[in-house]
Amino acid sequence: MAAYEFIDHTFDVVVVGAGGSGLRAALGAAEKGLKTACITKVFPTRSHTVAAQGGISASLGNMGKDDWRWHMYDTVKGSDWLGDQDSIEYMVRNAPAAVYELEHWGVPFSRTPEGKIYQRAFGGMTSNYGEAPIQRTCAAADRTGHAMLHTMYGQSLSKSVEFFIEYFALDLIMENGVCVGITAWKLDDGTLHRFRAQATVLATGGYGRAYFSATSAHTCTGDGGGMALRAGLPLQDMEFVQFHPTGIYGSGCLITEGSRGEGGYLTNSEGERFMERYAPTVKDLAPRDMVSRAMTLEIREGRGVGPKKDHIFLHLDHLDPKILAERLPGISETARIFAGVDVTKQPIPVIPTVHYNMGGLQTNYHGEVVTLKGKEPDSVVPGLFAVGEAACVSVHGSNRLGSNSLIDLVVFGRAVGLRLGEILKPGASQPELTAAQTDPHVARLDRFRNADGSTPTAELRAEMQAIMQEDAAVYRTGESLQNGCNRLQALWQKKSDIKVSDRGLVWNTDLMETLEFENLIAQAVVTVESGNNRTESRGAHAREDFPDRDDKTWMKHTLAYLDQTTGKVKVDYRPVHNYTMSKDIDYIPPKSRVY
Amino acid sequence: MAELALPKNSVVKAGKHWPAPGGAKAVKSFRIYRYDPEAGGNPRWDTYDVPVDAVGPMVLDALIYIKNTIDPTLAFRRSCREGVCGSCAMNIGGRNTLACTHGWAEVPGKAVQISPLPHMAVVKDLIPDLTIFYAQYASIEPWLHTTPPEPANEWKQSESDREKLDGLYECILCACCSTSCPSYWWNGDRYLGPAALLHAYRWLIDSRDEATGERLDALEDPFKLYRCHTIMNCAQVCPKGLNPAKAIAEVKKMMVDRVI
Amino acid sequence: MTSYRTPRSRAAGLGSAKHGVSTWIAERVTSVALVPLALWAVFAALRVAPMGYEGAVAWLHHPLNLTFSLLFAGLSFYHMGMGMAVIIEDYIHRRSTLVTLLLLNAFVWFGFGVATIVALLKVALATSVGVAL
Repeated sequence: MAAYEFIDHTFDVVVVGAGGSGLRAALGAAEKGLKTACITKVFPTRSHTVAAQGGISASLGNMGKDDWRWHMYDTVKGSDWLGDQDSIEYMVRNAPAAVYELEHWGVPFSRTPEGKIYQRAFGGMTSNYGEAPIQRTCAAADRTGHAMLHTMYGQSLSKSVEFFIEYFALDLIMENGVCVGITAWKLDDGTLHRFRAQATVLATGGYGRAYFSATSAHTCTGDGGGMALRAGLPLQDMEFVQFHPTGIYGSGCLITEGSRGEGGYLTNSEGERFMERYAPTVKDLAPRDMVSRAMTLEIREGRGVGPKKDHIFLHLDHLDPKILAERLPGISETARIFAGVDVTKQPIPVIPTVHYNMGGLQTNYHGEVVTLKGKEPDSVVPGLFAVGEAACVSVHGSNRLGSNSLIDLVVFGRAVGLRLGEILKPGASQPELTAAQTDPHVARLDRFRNADGSTPTAELRAEMQAIMQEDAAVYRTGESLQNGCNRLQALWQKKSDIKVSDRGLVWNTDLMETLEFENLIAQAVVTVESGNNRTESRGAHAREDFPDRDDKTWMKHTLAYLDQTTGKVKVDYRPVHNYTMSKDIDYIPPKSRVY
Repeated sequence: MAELALPKNSVVKAGKHWPAPGGAKAVKSFRIYRYDPEAGGNPRWDTYDVPVDAVGPMVLDALIYIKNTIDPTLAFRRSCREGVCGSCAMNIGGRNTLACTHGWAEVPGKAVQISPLPHMAVVKDLIPDLTIFYAQYASIEPWLHTTPPEPANEWKQSESDREKLDGLYECILCACCSTSCPSYWWNGDRYLGPAALLHAYRWLIDSRDEATGERLDALEDPFKLYRCHTIMNCAQVCPKGLNPAKAIAEVKKMMVDRVI
Repeated sequence: MTSYRTPRSRAAGLGSAKHGVSTWIAERVTSVALVPLALWAVFAALRVAPMGYEGAVAWLHHPLNLTFSLLFAGLSFYHMGMGMAVIIEDYIHRRSTLVTLLLLNAFVWFGFGVATIVALLKVALATSVGVAL
């Protein structure tokens, strides 16, 4: 092995990832006087939060009466009761303050005639416990994530967060079950860096690129989840993968749910607004899992549109062009570029597309990573936090409501900052790191850097993406999932035959994509194994062989551990919290989920 | 004097020709700037023949195809692939734009020529060093300046005041504009460039901001602001259809407004 | 040689000179003024050309002709000086060359400007002759 040397850094807090949750956590930690580093593999404003369109949910009540209890009910129901209600209560109650804070930092929210933040309707968001759709989603046109991310990056420039930009995180430094830092590879000069920290916050986003077609960016490779699995930690509820109903047919680019919030609707080949059959009350504003299933059924029953009858139309052409220009300018542009469609005149061809991972690193509502230790399901992993899509708090349960992810980012990003302020002492002394802790990290990098097998990374990745697309789709069966498990296991073995062509260390994107591929396939494996294991249908996990929700057996979170050498998965469980955070609201008991 | 020719070590030499895999007949050639800092030597032009049936419509699709199936060592930045993250800005067919939203069939010429954003230090292949560009953005203090106390709810803003931010806040910091600006080529160390100035105006015109005077003070400088000679390349290349030149003109007007 | 200055420090440079708007206004004002003055100058040149020496001297004795001539000459040199300075600042980066050229530019436009004005005044203030506007 060639000699590699680390450049050492010591911080109170190291945040990995500079998307919405990472920036918010870093800002919060810095505000508490903690020496904070934020390391990111892309320049902060290029993180995938930038692509969030529709908005951020909070019961501000700017468009009429609203109540955090209604938001909580919707979120619980949207999660198909798999969400932890204490965390959900924490999120919805802190949501308004978090949105006002963003506004005070300068987010250019769209406005009402009274000068307040404009809010639009979104799927699954209702008034009075499911009565009718409500306008709860705060929007900056259809570029809310972009506006938030740029504003938060600007804000962090005014605070003392130290950024390490275009550093690729390699692995967590663990010592006796405690996270003591992280290693990273600096792309522009090829040096290796070792960050020692009292707390490490994983804000690394989802792993949408495990699939062939995803709205996710190329960089959504779930690096945090990969690192956690390598550190021997389990990931929770990984079987729940959200398909967004309206990805552009072909390219997979996102068309916001806000387009239906502004009055858009879906039609099949007969021109029928079929959602009226599936969700009579909220129609096109049903939650994403239901709309995606309805679309899949329509296509399956021969009512898809296009020459192959394999997609659906999204109509915005009946809307006032002025409204489209003001509220949905971004998707109008995207539809023109990627579908060749003028939204004022033609429908957009759309198809359910992988969009979001409900699963991730299990945390409590302070963002502390917890794990099952003996009989204790909420045992904190000291020094390790997770937030954003990388985490599973779990507020989204088995299905996330649109616009609940942006609020998840900022509420729990903020929560992490607050918690770090409580439990850490700025500048407290930290144990020395040893070479033994990081030797495996370096060995892994070196092994892939010099990998001289016969299959290029891109080929293995394409194979994995095809498997996921075919075997872990909107509808699953025991057969498809078992098939997926078998094929992924075979692919896991082929990993030893991987070929990397670039031997350099400066911006070696071949090597980076290989490291990312390993993070992806680890999560692909736990996704199908967890799915195969859960013999019920709940939220985004729709099994044709088990079409009903089974609260008796399955009202519990899946925990999946991955053996790195064999690729075998071990499944365990954590109970779903059947209690709320405060006495202000009672636990919302499960009932059938109709809209 | 101004440099009229490339320094010796930057002259781009002829490179390798990579034929299409499987000997495909219908191909489009991509002539791509290659530079490997670790190998040393001058940059070179490599030509890749890409089978037109195997590749998506955008330049980024072609780059990914090349990386996946012909030459995995090709390095470029990319992320969202839908024109919102600003990673894949490069010079394509002589024009700065995003590879992900630019169709390769639209590029004039026999081969699609791709090089890094002009007049920036090249780290590797199509990856320029944007450190100073980012620092210039940071220097305009891109955050809302207000004096406490903050309101319990949101700062009110009228719809018409909010509308003033349209055409400004959408900037994705891709650097297409700044690196297409001759004035920025000449004085990139002292002139803030169109992107940073567009952002400066975004905060100047925000009705909620209380530091307009200080912001104008910081900009009133023969180099930071007044190096804009309204050449207009910025407005022509912006992949988001924004007009930084107009924003700069508005800043200059604000400067006048406070003396006359 | 490697510079260890931070990017922010490099971007900030020496900070704002807090001047520039007056120059910018002066450029615009002189441009605007020179539009009619230049038209007038063309018109005047066409008129004066057939007059011969005596006629031209007499023409310049008219206070309006003299005023416009002085304005045209003065503003032209001033405007040219500002324009040249910008071009020099744009293209020249070596400090010593830059300062030298800026000095040279200032001397040239100011020197030639003053010389032109003196020449006009000398002719106009010579013994009065008949006036033709």
